[in-house]
Amino acid sequence: MMNKTRKKIGVALFEIIMLILALVWLYPYIWLTLSSVKPQNEIYANLWPSQFTLDNFKFIFDTTNQMERDFFRSLMNSVIISVTVTFSVVLTSSFVGYAIAKFKFLGGTILKNFTIFQMLFPGFMFTIPTFVVIKSLGMLNTLASLIVPSLFGAWGVFMFTQSFRNIPNDYIEAARMEGAGEIRIIFSIMLPLTRSTASIVGLFTFIGIWDNFLTPLILIRDYDKMPLSVLLASFNHEYANQLGPVLAGSVIQTLPMVILFLVFRKYFLQGISISFK
Amino acid sequence: MFVKWNYLTPPKFIGFDNFTRVITDETFWLVLGNTFNFMLYFIPISLLGSILLGMAFNRLKYFKTFVVLSFLIANISSGVSYSIVFQKLLSESGPLNRFLYQVFGFTIPWFTRPQLAILAIALMVSWKFLGYYGLIFLAGLGAIPKSLYEAAKLDGAGKFKQFTKITLPLLNPSMVMVLVMQITMSFGIFTEPYMITGGGPMKRTYMFMMYIYDNAFRKFTSTGPGYAAVISIFAAAISFGCIFLVRKLIEKEVNFV
Repeated sequence: MMNKTRKKIGVALFEIIMLILALVWLYPYIWLTLSSVKPQNEIYANLWPSQFTLDNFKFIFDTTNQMERDFFRSLMNSVIISVTVTFSVVLTSSFVGYAIAKFKFLGGTILKNFTIFQMLFPGFMFTIPTFVVIKSLGMLNTLASLIVPSLFGAWGVFMFTQSFRNIPNDYIEAARMEGAGEIRIIFSIMLPLTRSTASIVGLFTFIGIWDNFLTPLILIRDYDKMPLSVLLASFNHEYANQLGPVLAGSVIQTLPMVILFLVFRKYFLQGISISFK
Repeated sequence: MFVKWNYLTPPKFIGFDNFTRVITDETFWLVLGNTFNFMLYFIPISLLGSILLGMAFNRLKYFKTFVVLSFLIANISSGVSYSIVFQKLLSESGPLNRFLYQVFGFTIPWFTRPQLAILAIALMVSWKFLGYYGLIFLAGLGAIPKSLYEAAKLDGAGKFKQFTKITLPLLNPSMVMVLVMQITMSFGIFTEPYMITGGGPMKRTYMFMMYIYDNAFRKFTSTGPGYAAVISIFAAAISFGCIFLVRKLIEKEVNFV
């Protein structure tokens, strides 16, 4: 009897400790969000603001374009880049994945091995080659330079190949009998059946591009073409005393990722456990 | 790779000169030392932390979803903005130091002492990745059959013995995977030191990616892309070497029978 109650207390204590730990982990987020809505002089004073204000956000959107750092514009840049790339990666990866998984053709295995081979190299080895290629194409300092190199990705192809392989060939045969073309098969059979893979590939691609810092730092020089990550960094370097707006900018930079994560959390967890295997 | 080139004049072929230059480059060795110094903090902290976290995830009943999500949300934070947040949190007048000063009467100068700066960056990166690694260990724990623990209990093995004789050995695949990720991550780290310390104090948080970046792209420090490319190849080779070493030393075949 004694033993049982003691065990129960132990379990409860453990749950509470973990809950507190989770709150500690969330603290940077909490601090960031609260700091962005309080008057600047209170940021280091108390956690809970004496009054809520949107001044910092107003500053970010209204005043920064007079400082040659237009946050709204660069937010739009980020959206354009990330959405285009995500859309394209899901499309191209599913097409190539379909070809590799369901067709036998000359060089098919080589192509497949090559995609896997490409994933082995650490990303930092590609920074300089990318720069040299972009420069010789005359695309430096353009939004296109951030979009074009990422339109196609080995990891997406790999993920789609793996999950398309599990779809029985009978479905495809049946669709062909009904007179559906290959493109139609991809859109109305393969993609709907692998919705979770598509979401994972899309989500990770979006986050990766949105958060990319080094590539735009190298390729873009004009403030009006910068994505949010680089603009925010340069703003932080030069206007470090504008603490409130800097933090408000950080909130804007973080928010889309957090929202997407919360919406797609189920797929996110699946994606992590798939990539272990 | 084999050229001397400053983007303007045509590249000049110089054979292996760039390679020999790396060997005699003092900054290269400093950066390599910094990277190992960083790994010395980052790997033990996050490895131990994530194993414990994975086990905690495994035992949680009521708040599991909330706790797992709170840890994972750290993982998807944006590199630039979480660097800014931690820079402010840990700064001299920031909330953490103010708390320490009020309660214990001292402050920690995180970004002015070399070892503390490296530790601070290691802690930040651990904050970001602990949940993700913890989830890997959770998946690893899920693969261990419950019957093994029951058998061990019958044989009179205590909790500690169960942990060292069953849990740890059978987590070997997850552990190798996390170690590989940690090593790759340590060699590729850029945003955090670039944003927070800029390589200082005394160049002790100057990491490979920053050195490559400075050599290839920065106006006054650029020595051209040829030399920078060679540095990135050296860095990749050394990180592959570390990974190879880890697999050689730690990886074992695991049978769940």
